[in-house]
Amino acid sequence: MARLDPDRWRTISADLDRALDMDDAMRAAWLAGLRDRDPELASELQLLLDEHRAVVLERFLEAPPATPAGPPVAAGQAIGPYRLIEPIGEGGMGSVWLAERQDGRFDRRVAVKFLSVALAGRGEQRFRREGAILARLSHPHIAQLIDAGVSETHQPYLILEHVDGEHIDAYCDRRRLDIAARIALFLDVLAAVDHAHAMLIVHRDLKPSNVLVTGDGGVKLLDFGVAKLLEDEGRAGAMLTVEGGAALTPEYAAPEQLTAGPITTATDVYSLGVLLYVLLSGRHPSGAPRRSPAEMVKAVVDSDSRRLSDVVGADGEESAAHADRRGTAPDKLRRLARGDLDTILARALKKEPAQRYSSVTALAGDLRRYLRHEPIAARPDTLAYRAGKFVRRNRAPVALGVLALVASIGGVIGTLLQARTARIERDFALRQLARAETINDLNTFVLSDAAPAGQAFTVDDLLARAERVVGDEHGDPADHVELLLSVGRQYTVQEEYAKARRLLETAHTQSLALADPSTRARAACALAQTLGMSGDLPRAEALFHEGLGDLPQATQYSLDRAFCLERGSEIARNTGAAQDAIARAEAAQRALAASGFQSALLDVDTAVALAGAYRTAGRLEDASAAFERASNRLTTLGRGDTERAGTILNNWGVTLWQLGRPLESARVLARAIAISRDQRGEESVSPMVLINYARSLADMRRLDEAADYAERGAARAQQGGNQVALGQSFFVRATIDRFKGDFAGALRMLDAVEPELRRSLPEGHIAFATLADQRALVAQANGELAHALELENRAVGIAEASGRAGHEGGDYLRVYLAHRSEIQLALHRVDEAAADAARAIEMMASLGRPGSFASTRGFAYLALGRAREAQGRRREAIAAFRSAAGEFEHTLGAEHEETRAAKKLAALPD
Amino acid sequence: MEVASLSASLSSIFVAAEHGDAAADQALFGRLYAELHRLAQRELARRGAFATIGVTTLLHEAYLDMATSEGPKFPDRPRFMAYTARVMRGLIIDHARSRRASKRGGEFEITSIGTEVRENVPDARMLTAVGDALDELARADATLAEVVDLKFFCGFSFAEIAAMRGISERTVQRQWEKARIYLHHSLRADLPA
Repeated sequence: MARLDPDRWRTISADLDRALDMDDAMRAAWLAGLRDRDPELASELQLLLDEHRAVVLERFLEAPPATPAGPPVAAGQAIGPYRLIEPIGEGGMGSVWLAERQDGRFDRRVAVKFLSVALAGRGEQRFRREGAILARLSHPHIAQLIDAGVSETHQPYLILEHVDGEHIDAYCDRRRLDIAARIALFLDVLAAVDHAHAMLIVHRDLKPSNVLVTGDGGVKLLDFGVAKLLEDEGRAGAMLTVEGGAALTPEYAAPEQLTAGPITTATDVYSLGVLLYVLLSGRHPSGAPRRSPAEMVKAVVDSDSRRLSDVVGADGEESAAHADRRGTAPDKLRRLARGDLDTILARALKKEPAQRYSSVTALAGDLRRYLRHEPIAARPDTLAYRAGKFVRRNRAPVALGVLALVASIGGVIGTLLQARTARIERDFALRQLARAETINDLNTFVLSDAAPAGQAFTVDDLLARAERVVGDEHGDPADHVELLLSVGRQYTVQEEYAKARRLLETAHTQSLALADPSTRARAACALAQTLGMSGDLPRAEALFHEGLGDLPQATQYSLDRAFCLERGSEIARNTGAAQDAIARAEAAQRALAASGFQSALLDVDTAVALAGAYRTAGRLEDASAAFERASNRLTTLGRGDTERAGTILNNWGVTLWQLGRPLESARVLARAIAISRDQRGEESVSPMVLINYARSLADMRRLDEAADYAERGAARAQQGGNQVALGQSFFVRATIDRFKGDFAGALRMLDAVEPELRRSLPEGHIAFATLADQRALVAQANGELAHALELENRAVGIAEASGRAGHEGGDYLRVYLAHRSEIQLALHRVDEAAADAARAIEMMASLGRPGSFASTRGFAYLALGRAREAQGRRREAIAAFRSAAGEFEHTLGAEHEETRAAKKLAALPD
Repeated sequence: MEVASLSASLSSIFVAAEHGDAAADQALFGRLYAELHRLAQRELARRGAFATIGVTTLLHEAYLDMATSEGPKFPDRPRFMAYTARVMRGLIIDHARSRRASKRGGEFEITSIGTEVRENVPDARMLTAVGDALDELARADATLAEVVDLKFFCGFSFAEIAAMRGISERTVQRQWEKARIYLHHSLRADLPA
């Protein structure tokens, strides 16, 4: 292999920077373009990017070298209540010691695993917290994590149940187990993984060395969730690294682990598929053994696995040896594998997570059916196809939506059931369990009864049915309130506020007679939320305080406190009390952490509440980060394509646009549209999302597409009587027309929207500033400069007043200032132009974090540069143009006309 | 070269080394090496066998020690760290070599039972190769090599490195990724085909 030439390295360094900063899709597109222009450069970059994959995968240089302090541990030393006996392993993760209890209270021996990772300040906390969660995972087939701690010298360690066993593949071979016995043993593995998945813990690194069989033939899984535990904090979001950056074993890694995709329970399903494949055939599904990591990555990501029956039946000594270890011959093995086993493995090993078995239970079910010679559920590819067909036939609000809804309740139940194993007060656990089971009963009843085979039913049907069931007097009054709450909240989700309000009022009234503060608080706060959404804010606020004030301080009420605080945050947001909204959302987050529950779904709720609060307060960067977190969490849960995920993406996309990052915004909004389209068909995509997307496209100067989306959004808004969306569409279409040079068209749009704004909004609303700004831009483009200045002055005035009054507006002021600067300059009012631009930049400095970019700031720099140029301050002008080019390149892309123009002005190479 | 003489103040050697004076560079390397070694031994004695002494801590203490005795002309902390990280690299590689020599058979013995063990711990041979590749990288892009010294050998976080240099964390992270690409490539280039 050729060495890298230093000169060449320096030449392509900048391109490599750029490539590393892109996500996979963007990078692929960019490279494809580059390949046409400069094939040599493209192939060199490709080589280095492949190298990067290997680097990330191998965690190259991530384990620190041994330091001069020497081996840190010695026999006889104490770690917590344990005394180290002897080392039993050493490696990249650190050393492993056998240890026993010092006080001799139990004769149990444990393994102490010292991790050679550095945990700074907050990292230690996280390590202990997540360790505590993993320690709750208790199952006969899972090696118990007894404790996770950090020594006095800040070295993290794990105390684990010591397992004396053999790797599962070696065990099976040594015992010459046949296919059925191997599958039976594997079913024990599945039971353990299923148990962990029910607690939302994904293993992430399943492979033979983590699956041991002890002397008595029992299976033990090691290192459950440890891969996650070792993940660096602050890595999330970095495109440079594979998500879940823990050291992977490429042979057993799922494609999404190698391509930075989200890690879900489906990831374990894939690894289990590989493990089963190896147990049954003795070979890896990708074929050739012992490849380099880079080749292995390529094989896992790109090529389909080979059919099991083809592999085991192949000619040659190797096949014979493998078959012999399974007590059979190759041709017999092939007959056993052909058909169902082939199908089962193909399904588990799908590249696309959504196409795999939906759960470990489903995989286990098919394996059991195979052992009993019953027909298996998986059919080669046809099932998903049929399901797709069904959805397409029944576009309207369809059963699938309800299933998602019920699944989300099911998820909460799954979480709450953990309370039994958690060390939380017993009565709390029992109450949650009763609550969960009551709701579960309702779901089962409503669903099974309402679903005559194949017939579509709507969310409304189901809720109406549920409401009837709830209406019947139920035994326990507390149960009855819970059911009312459950159905009422679903009506709220469906935006059926009148119906929700009716049920929740009843629930609240009945709850007052109950002794349980938890139910009382939830009833009050659920009602508060609905009232807040339907406009009765004073009463909503009062009910929120009533609910929260009613709760005792004890930890067992933490979840209820979080529930109330989240709703309180939303109410504060609706009243415009941004600081209260933030404080309440943050308090909800703390309460959730204090509850000791690990529920990703509840995390999503608080992240969304927080994001909304930040947005109201104008803290857009924080809002964007919180939306991103919520979106990633949902994806990790396998709910990345639900309506909820779509809504979050929409809000995130708008926030990015406000931040002046149309490129990212467009990408996020495109995903929101795709989800909505896939779920419910083209016609039901919300007009607001379409219009938001059009706006970001317009900023990218993708004008034809933008016009198309804006018109579709407008048509749909008109149909549905959505005045807000319709108003927005006029603004967006005006912008598009202006960019296209159709000034008359732009003015028509603005004339069309003005009467409606005047009718529905108070004078001084920020919308009128936008209107004036848009008119100013058209006037400027038409050469009517004096008029343009007058209009822009109005826009600035309204935004200033609005900001002073504490309303929205501050966000827009800086943009209007930049626009006014351009107009001033055209009028040769050079100093005024420079002053406006400088003020805009100053305001924007507080907007982003260091290292973040904004196209809006780019425009302000551009204006400043032109003004400085006109003032004859050439050096400052160049500096401003350079800044503008940087901002544009990161937010609009290198190909954008503004980027090119700014670079040209700054005399930078294109 | 006069400034490289033993009696010269560390501050002046530092300045000369930074200006590309090869003799000063060597002298400085030697002085810092000895100093770091002494500190490591002291820490070891003070905290006992179970102490994993953080390299970062060591460097900060070294800085305090030297800056106190040298006075105000001593280079600021970021400049000191940027240079000393390279010295630390040498110390660590030497240490790994001596440890290897003291072990019969050289490589770490891996006695895995049950609890899973990884084999990617950087051993002496690999560290030496990384060191050589780093020298080569320093010629192509010194900044990248420095990031590796600070991050890998000295254990500074991205945030600390970013603060040291007054650049964004994102940029440091990108430099780190690029450096790893370069080194990985070099190391593989040295393998027999």
